[in-house]
Amino acid sequence: MESSELERFEAIVLPHLDAAYTLARYLTGNTQDAQDIVQDASLRALKYFRGFRGTEPRDGRAWLLTIVRNTVRTWRQRRHPQSADTAFDEEQHSERIADDDAAVNLDRKETRARLGEALAQLPDEFREVIVLRDIQELSYQEISEVTGVPEGTVMSRLHRARQRLRRMLVRGGKTGERVI
Amino acid sequence: MSETEFERRLSAAIRDEMPPLHAPEELRQRVRAAISNAATPTRWERWGGGPYSSTTRWLALAASLALVAVGGTVGYQLAERRAGEAALADQVLASHVRSLMPGHLTDVVSSDQHTVKPWFNGKLDYSPPVSDFTTQGFPLLGGRLDYVGGRPVGALVYGRRQHVINVLLWPAIAGAEGPSVRTRQGYHLLHWTAGDYTWWVASDLGLSELQEFAGLLRADQTRSSR
Repeated sequence: MESSELERFEAIVLPHLDAAYTLARYLTGNTQDAQDIVQDASLRALKYFRGFRGTEPRDGRAWLLTIVRNTVRTWRQRRHPQSADTAFDEEQHSERIADDDAAVNLDRKETRARLGEALAQLPDEFREVIVLRDIQELSYQEISEVTGVPEGTVMSRLHRARQRLRRMLVRGGKTGERVI
Repeated sequence: MSETEFERRLSAAIRDEMPPLHAPEELRQRVRAAISNAATPTRWERWGGGPYSSTTRWLALAASLALVAVGGTVGYQLAERRAGEAALADQVLASHVRSLMPGHLTDVVSSDQHTVKPWFNGKLDYSPPVSDFTTQGFPLLGGRLDYVGGRPVGALVYGRRQHVINVLLWPAIAGAEGPSVRTRQGYHLLHWTAGDYTWWVASDLGLSELQEFAGLLRADQTRSSR
């Protein structure tokens, strides 16, 4: 790699290490795995950087996050080879909820405390759109770029993911007690 | 509460409960080390025809093979060590050049040796000796972590007028040796092994002044190890 290219990499990609770590950490739920993944993803990014056309520091974020996201998937497949066989089915993973179950009080401490746990239980495809949108505040277009699905799918997936979170929060913990 | 209103509030609650994170400092350093390590060998390609080109590598290899044939094991080990040292010189020079790029010189900026030395705690498996030579005209500017010879190493940065001097050192494997002098692309590299450490000094400073500086370092180490 030429030194000007390395400088470009350092200016465009490296500023997004926080974002990369945030995504890896919330997707894996583990700080050590997240660090390994970000290091691995950074090296992959360096390897493929020549093909990247971005010129501004902000261009690098979605690009690096795409690599982080794919690195997490590879890492998961290595760890749980059988789970990769079950293709994600939007409909199967989504259920309608009755309106009267909709009253979830997001101001309650108990409800908020369960949010992280609920997020961790979502299927990967749902969790990643929530993390990218609600935690990292990416645009639909950027999320489409990172996840490789059309913007329309991103929006419907996000909606279903939130419905699912709501259902988990309504149901409450293992007791099945309703928290409102 | 409407569906959309709920989604908006759920978003806000998620953001409150699970904020964006900061990459740990350890991770930043790991990434920087991995990247400079991956980028360094190819960086030389651009300067191809430089004093340490791939031709030189092949010559070194050929020389070591020839020595196996002629001189046997001892000769081979000597050649291998020389080739290893040349490769290290390569990396030390790359470290020096990289450090001169904007924002890369120091991780800890301080002219106080008692600030620089403890900064390395927990970052290296050794505690590099740090001295200040301000009164002799070589002020300490700070320290930095780098990755050379397949291990994380401490770099101490000194100044002389507008010149920057990098001192890289790590625990010695072999016995006392040197000092030796190399000149590459207008930079001088001094190398020696004494006491517990292997030392490399790199700068564009004139050779006599750099040797004066190396003399200070060596004298300082002899004093402190007595």
